[in-house]
Amino acid sequence: MAAYENSNNHLDVEKKTERSETVDLNDNTLQVDISDALSEREKVKFTVHTKTTLKDFAKQDFSVVRQHEEFIWLHDRFEENESYAGYIIPPPPPRPDFDSSREKLQKLGEGEGSMTAEEFKKMKQELEAEYLATFKKTVAMHEVFLCRLANHPIFRADTNFRVFLEYEQDLSVRGKNKKEKLETFLRSFSKTTDEILLGSTQKDVDEFFDKEKNFLLDYHSLLKDATLRADKMTKAHKDVADHYIKISSCLLEMATADTNQLERFATKTADIFEKARKIENRVSTDEDLKLSDTLRYYMRDTTAAKNLLYRRLRCLADYEAANRALEKARAKNKDVHAAEWSQHQACEKFEQMSAKGKEELIDFKVRRVAAIKKNLIELCELELKHANTHSQLLKASIVALREEL
Amino acid sequence: MADDRYAPKLDEFNDDDLFASAIEIKVEAKADISIEDDRSNGLSPIEEQSHNLSAADEIDLNSDSEYKDGVPDTKAKIELRSEPEDIFEDIPDPKEVHGETMVGRSTLETLVTSPRTQSCNAYHTGTMTEDEKVITAESDGKFITISVKDPQKIGDGISSFLTYNVVTRTNIGLFKKTEMTVSRRFSDFLGLHDKLAEKYLHKGRLVPAPPEKNVVGTTKVKMTGGQTEHEGKLPEFVERRRAALERYLIRIAIHPIFQVDPDFREFLECEDELPRASNTSALSGAGVLRLFNRMGETVTKIAFKMGESDPWFEERHQQLETLESQFRRLQASLEGLYSHRRELAFATAALGKGLALLSNGEDHAGLSRALAKMAELHDKLEGVHNDQSNADFYILHELIKDYLSLLGVVKDVFHERVKAFQTWQHAQQMLAKKREAVDRWESTGRSDKVAPAKDEVLEWEAKVNRSQEEFDVISKAIKKELELFDLQRVKDFKAAFISYLEAQMKAQDKIIEHWETYMPEAKAIA
Repeated sequence: MAAYENSNNHLDVEKKTERSETVDLNDNTLQVDISDALSEREKVKFTVHTKTTLKDFAKQDFSVVRQHEEFIWLHDRFEENESYAGYIIPPPPPRPDFDSSREKLQKLGEGEGSMTAEEFKKMKQELEAEYLATFKKTVAMHEVFLCRLANHPIFRADTNFRVFLEYEQDLSVRGKNKKEKLETFLRSFSKTTDEILLGSTQKDVDEFFDKEKNFLLDYHSLLKDATLRADKMTKAHKDVADHYIKISSCLLEMATADTNQLERFATKTADIFEKARKIENRVSTDEDLKLSDTLRYYMRDTTAAKNLLYRRLRCLADYEAANRALEKARAKNKDVHAAEWSQHQACEKFEQMSAKGKEELIDFKVRRVAAIKKNLIELCELELKHANTHSQLLKASIVALREEL
Repeated sequence: MADDRYAPKLDEFNDDDLFASAIEIKVEAKADISIEDDRSNGLSPIEEQSHNLSAADEIDLNSDSEYKDGVPDTKAKIELRSEPEDIFEDIPDPKEVHGETMVGRSTLETLVTSPRTQSCNAYHTGTMTEDEKVITAESDGKFITISVKDPQKIGDGISSFLTYNVVTRTNIGLFKKTEMTVSRRFSDFLGLHDKLAEKYLHKGRLVPAPPEKNVVGTTKVKMTGGQTEHEGKLPEFVERRRAALERYLIRIAIHPIFQVDPDFREFLECEDELPRASNTSALSGAGVLRLFNRMGETVTKIAFKMGESDPWFEERHQQLETLESQFRRLQASLEGLYSHRRELAFATAALGKGLALLSNGEDHAGLSRALAKMAELHDKLEGVHNDQSNADFYILHELIKDYLSLLGVVKDVFHERVKAFQTWQHAQQMLAKKREAVDRWESTGRSDKVAPAKDEVLEWEAKVNRSQEEFDVISKAIKKELELFDLQRVKDFKAAFISYLEAQMKAQDKIIEHWETYMPEAKAIA
């Protein structure tokens, strides 16, 4: 297990397909990808590679090394920026989580005595493959995040983004210490309550947004539910595949111990189970990738959309508060100018936000439908491919086994 | 699906003189039997007689007896005997009854010898319809097909029970008809096992073990109200039991000795209810007795270490132990596989529901439809996964379980041999003592005691001989049985795995079908 944590996993990632999933504008003036990734102990180091024809950058082709915390820092900068309030901020990538893999590996190590060397080897291989898959996924998530920013006409021009891409040294973004973490927690807590409060008290003038809000709230929880279920299904599938290993090794044992009659037969059968297992495993990972991950991603995206709506609502509330303040000021004939000015600000802000927000939300819908469609088709194709392979394998093996009869 | 499992190779038995070694019979003073060559008799007298036979309880003895057969084309050398310690000593009409049985035997002889002259290797593939498995044991045109179907609940409440229809089709002449259906309950099956075990176990024959009792399941069935035959779903336990009972009967039917056993025939033929085998219930007097016996036997098993003279047995014993542990591991893995696949089925169904909800919440019409279709697809997939797990279970897991219990029977049979050995040793010891006694009386000049002592010596000499022969008989029988067992095991395994893979293949094909119907839906999203 220690070997894992110390090993450097270099990964060459071709992720063109992921990029096209979320791209609206497909010009090549700014292309970002993660060309390499290293896994060191607890941390993963991503090599962010940029290719650009824009003049604002010092070079045309350059790379920097970034860690997960820096991605989060970038996301937070966008989130906090008021001028982006009308946009859907792409959701941050999830933390690289190898805990479950590590746990499993540990359990495997403990249980080593109870299984044969072959079995142990195979299960270890399985776990390594799983680890690799998780690794690939986290790289993909980070890349998608960056690509969305790069392809967004407004975001790509953001200074923080540029710094992130260019600054060759460590951004020295320290992870939030305890106090800041507590602050964030409290803030998010208050935000949620505010959200709920607003949701129930603040009536939206615009029907479009009202509908959207209701839709998104529902949709989000449904997505969450579906994601959980999809995860359960993939896990069960994996368990089935794992059990094939056990059966295969049992059969091998029987084959070696048995007199010749059953030996060849059992060996062949053991082999079949092995192959079948690989296929089942692949099915499981593909399902995970295409279905669960898509659902998960859109779950997070809907959260981002919800955030937008919340901000807008907040803005509306402010706007109406400013209106009231203005009226009061006018009534008292004091500070009218200041009140007018702030009301004017609020109004502008609100209207900008609404306009932008509408665009974003419609765009979001289109994107969502396209992405889900694409993933469903790919899922379908992969499932068919695997089922076909499986069926062929079984046909061939039945023929082979009948010869043994 | 192909079930190639149940074709007995009767020719092999011929070569090994199965009947010769199985039961050796000594001619005793009282049983003076004349042998008629009754071959010329057609089947009808047999049919009548076997009817008589099945009526009387004492037939059990006769089924054990075999006859000197001077027919030239038989290698079988068989001798007569009636066992002294047999409980069935009061035979009403030895000559007549013996004669009948002899006819039965010689016909069996025909059955058995004829394959020698023709090569027989008829494997018969069984066909499986939706709700029954018809498996044929065939050799050379003689076959017997048994299926167990239609579990029905009779009565209500605590005194209710389930009956099963046992349908037999055969052209073995010993049976009264070629097709028969009878109604049997679980305790009848247990009763049959008890009868066969009593007769054959101590002779080294592997009597197949019946399905286990299941208190929880049975009570559940008793307590559910309503006619189960109209209910859509009987509890799974009933289906498992039905399948297990069928396998049990088939295993008996393919064994050449049990196949023609009169108790077995009565079980299959007798249209009335069989007398309640009440001593099979756990709480009966016989049950308690059995429990005591079992405990005593376990103690002797541990305590008495037999000096093994035959390395074959030693080796076999080891091999069987390894086999058992391997089976157990396989069984555990299969259980794991089965339960995980069930989980997969549940999870798939749950996902289907989640997708359906999502589709309702989705406002884009095209996507909504696609999601709804996907939900349907997953429901269908759940069905497929359930089928797969059924295959896991019924084909493989139950097979392994059966074999584990058969291995238990093999162990019992080994133990019987040990007991026979013990008896023999004991007899030898007694003989030595009696001889000593004779010497003692002779030396002290007590001529009055010498004579009875000499008689005792003779008696014990006879016992020694008899027990030695029994021991040899049982050893030989075990060897043969184990050969048959091995053959059967290999066959069963091969057939089971092949049919399992075929089931999996069908499942994969279904999966392909489902996804193919879905594909255009996904593409059609506007």
